[in-house]
Amino acid sequence: MPTAYPLPTNLSPATVANTASLIRIVALCLISGAAIASRLFAVINFESIIHEFDPWFNYRATRVLATKGFYEFWNWFDPTAWYPLGRVVGGTVYPGLMATSGVIYNLLHAINLPVDIRNICVLLAPGFSALTAWATYMFTKEMKDASAGLLAAAFIGIVPGYISRSVAGSYDNEAIAIFLLMFTFYCWIKALKQGSALFGTIAAVFYFYMVAAWGGYVFITNMIPLHALVLILMGRFSSRLYVAYSSWYAIGTLASMQVPFVGFQPVKTSEHMAALAVFGLLQIVAFAQLVRSRVSSRQFQNLLFAAVVTIGILGTFAFGALTYKGWIAPWTGRFYSLWDTGYAKKYIPIIASVSEHQPTAWPSFFMDLQFLIFLFPAGVFLCFRELRDEHLFVIIYAVMASYFAGVMVRLMLTLTPVVCVASAVALSTLLDTFVDPTEPDIAEEGKSESGTSTTSTAAPGANGSTAAATKKSKKAAAAAAETTSTLSHLLAATKKEGLANPKGIYGLDTRLMVIFNTTCLLAFFVFHCTWVTSSAYSSPSVVLASSNPDGSQHIIDDFREAYYWLRQNTPEDAVVMSWWDYGYQIAGMADRPTLVDNNTWNNTHIATVGKAMSSSEEVAYPILRKHDVQYVLVIFGGLIGYSGDDINKFLWMVRIAQGVWPDEIQEPNYFTSRGEYKVDENASPAMRNSLMYKMTYYRFAELFGGGQAMDRVRQQQMPKVGPTLDYLDEAFTSENWIVRIYEVKKEDPLGRDLKSANAFAQGKKRKRTKPVSRRRALVS
Amino acid sequence: MKLFTLLFLPLALVAGQDPLQQLVKLAKQGNGVITLDPQTFDLLTNPKRTWSTSIQLTALDKRRKCTPCKQFDPSFNAVAKAWSGVPAQHRNNHFFATLDFDNGQTVFQKLGLQSAPVVYVYPAAEGPRAPASGKVGPLKYDFSNGFDAAPLAESLSKQTPIPIPYREPIDWSRYFVIGLGVAAVLVTLRFSAPILQNRWTWALVTITVSLVMTSGYMFTRIRSSPYNGGGGNWVASGYQNQFGQEVTVVSCIYGLLATSFLMLILVVPRQTSPSRQRVQVYLWTGVFMIMYSMLVSLFRIKNRGYPFKLFLG
Repeated sequence: MPTAYPLPTNLSPATVANTASLIRIVALCLISGAAIASRLFAVINFESIIHEFDPWFNYRATRVLATKGFYEFWNWFDPTAWYPLGRVVGGTVYPGLMATSGVIYNLLHAINLPVDIRNICVLLAPGFSALTAWATYMFTKEMKDASAGLLAAAFIGIVPGYISRSVAGSYDNEAIAIFLLMFTFYCWIKALKQGSALFGTIAAVFYFYMVAAWGGYVFITNMIPLHALVLILMGRFSSRLYVAYSSWYAIGTLASMQVPFVGFQPVKTSEHMAALAVFGLLQIVAFAQLVRSRVSSRQFQNLLFAAVVTIGILGTFAFGALTYKGWIAPWTGRFYSLWDTGYAKKYIPIIASVSEHQPTAWPSFFMDLQFLIFLFPAGVFLCFRELRDEHLFVIIYAVMASYFAGVMVRLMLTLTPVVCVASAVALSTLLDTFVDPTEPDIAEEGKSESGTSTTSTAAPGANGSTAAATKKSKKAAAAAAETTSTLSHLLAATKKEGLANPKGIYGLDTRLMVIFNTTCLLAFFVFHCTWVTSSAYSSPSVVLASSNPDGSQHIIDDFREAYYWLRQNTPEDAVVMSWWDYGYQIAGMADRPTLVDNNTWNNTHIATVGKAMSSSEEVAYPILRKHDVQYVLVIFGGLIGYSGDDINKFLWMVRIAQGVWPDEIQEPNYFTSRGEYKVDENASPAMRNSLMYKMTYYRFAELFGGGQAMDRVRQQQMPKVGPTLDYLDEAFTSENWIVRIYEVKKEDPLGRDLKSANAFAQGKKRKRTKPVSRRRALVS
Repeated sequence: MKLFTLLFLPLALVAGQDPLQQLVKLAKQGNGVITLDPQTFDLLTNPKRTWSTSIQLTALDKRRKCTPCKQFDPSFNAVAKAWSGVPAQHRNNHFFATLDFDNGQTVFQKLGLQSAPVVYVYPAAEGPRAPASGKVGPLKYDFSNGFDAAPLAESLSKQTPIPIPYREPIDWSRYFVIGLGVAAVLVTLRFSAPILQNRWTWALVTITVSLVMTSGYMFTRIRSSPYNGGGGNWVASGYQNQFGQEVTVVSCIYGLLATSFLMLILVVPRQTSPSRQRVQVYLWTGVFMIMYSMLVSLFRIKNRGYPFKLFLG
């Protein structure tokens, strides 16, 4: 056999195998190193700090777990959150993340490594990304081979779509969940391939871990049954499938019910019903198979078939009836809004208001996945070529995940692994083809040249003539009809219609061309990932960075400045009201009770805050007093152009408040008569009188010393005379005015309402026409 | 003379009769909707009214070119019709009325309206149904839920004595089409079975779905973006925004890139002539490079800060 380039001949196969395995191990180590290193931008550029919002709660909970032990954590009731309601943290949290950090913390301390719990939390996500790379390697190895696995591991190690949720400091459930997702899928594939109850059980255990760690476990709960269902429909039912699925489902479901936050949901809610239904279907099909193998009578078989179908239909109706009667809860809004995309905006504005729940435009896909996004369809195509059971899994996963990622930016995270796997399969097939040194015989050329111009029918042995092909497919169809029911016809006829072995590549230049091209592609990918990670995904959002005129970095640290002010200057039980986005941060950094936080479990409570923010001072004051609010915190970016501030979120506050008090708060009132969202002279009266507006722009105009005040976020010129406050006092404003804190005044000692008290203090004469009853407004 | 006045008394009575009776009569004539002019508008919204009313202010005349008015009119009428079916003691406490711009310009001026359609709900000003807050000014209906009848009925029901018994008409034609489709599939199952059982059919469907989804199709659906910006402008500005045409273009680019890759993997090695194979390798590599450069330059338009580029600007 001629080769394109010389190969060493004096190597024993054992040497080759050993070297290959050494290289694989080294490569995996290097990939892990790269995965961890590229996530450390955040620590190097800023500091070892917890990022964003939710991680602050996780961090706080982990600290409780580490210092007080697991049982304290389990029974932890947090009276400072959702004041005055409080929150049962142990029962309303996915404890997997905290438990993981707690175990690592105790382990390190047991071997006398006194590592701070904060550093464990900060570095947990990068550490787990290395494990994810390994799990992806194992998964892809089952799809193709180890070389594809290495590529997939490298891809998932540095792809921005995954880095975005797992940089150092991003201490969130997703940090460990993607590893668990991939490893559960790997175990499932392994169990299915081998019919192994052991791997099924391991899959169930990791499924349990996943349930304990992330609400996205529902994705696994539906992916595996879907895969099993498609296999049954295609007539690929086997005892391997039966063993794998039954062991996974039985153990996994029982285990998942041990998590208090999940409880009895696996048998009571629609999200989990698919798994239960497929479990039932598998029992029926298995029973039918068993009876068929024992009974020969044809009539009895027909009867059996009818019975199976009837039981299936009855089962479906039973599910329907149970749902109708309310025994099975219908889909929860969060999941339902994935299918009916208009649902959330209409009925659950809190979910629709979160920026990561918005639909994804194509630049985000390219930004997060770069060239993988168009190798991905090629990889899926190659899966169709072989179409083993495990390839079906990748195909189903690809379709579902690309739909979900399109509906919600956040679910890009679940798409990323399958994209890495599929494109690794495609790229490694390309490399296999073009690196392979064997050249096909040149002699064959003449033969086929004399034949037909189409290459597919020219090769007799490989592709087969059309007659042979049809014969084969007929045989396959006949075999299928003999053995199984009509369900199994699907795709059976096309099974193995003789795929031609690729012949190979001639010459060295063609090889070098393609390999060079591929290398450039990969190099570009590395540059892209590094750039995206360092510029877009490594900002802690607690600390902001800008650059000085000379190019050096300037740190804007207003948030921590303000939170520490609260921590050191206010009584420990002072209730702080803010919009829910900042609840976790206030609890974590300022250690003060908050009215609402990022948990968003109580819509009415959030709407109350929204109402207080969007109504006038007179209306808001009783609300504040009734909730014991002492300080109100608002975020204002108008001075330095920080666009994620409260005025930009204000419409959501109005909308959420309107959902509960439609008579008192109406969204159109906050627009100008021409339907614009304005904060300048033309702002609508409701807007100008709202507490949020007043707190945001209080004394803002004075900053410009008589010049024209300018809001840099909205690009609008502010009126010369700013709003006045009667019921609140400015307590603190941070360096760049990002955080402003107001103190709520106590009632006037003389029983006047604060507005007239203020007017009196300023020497204004009280108007006679003012109704006396206003004094008593606060008593009620 | 007295006799003369007596003769006219019934007429005078009719003219001066209880305004409520008059409105009931008008509503009956108009099939549940009172068609207003400035006089009846004042009658309907007079400050001593004991009834509430929903008034649609619209401009249906063709010359006004008000497309939203035409879209909304059927919904309003459907809700009014639903209301005309409730028992009389409730029905006569709330009225539906329409005022066209061409019949009542003075009213539009008086209300300071610049645009149509607008729905005002006037609560009762006196009597048992007057709101406790004492606010009797009109409430404006918020069109944020679109021009459909269901949200309108839901919103107006807060002001009516009993909820408006509006039900979405059953869309028989849709069920019919679905039924027909299912039946057609079942009938042709014998012929379509080989297609349905062919793996490449499924491959085509799968890959098309994932291409379209990863090109932002759901974004255009959910945000109902236009197909293009008009004037040959088909790239929406901004990183988190896109037009419908971008879905087509981007998915075609992705598809072509994937195809050139598959060509290199699947078709090229099967070539039995070295020279032809070489041409194909260079061809598909070239296609790949050019398409990729185009994709990157398109991405640079969307994301201005992107520092990398390939062969094209």
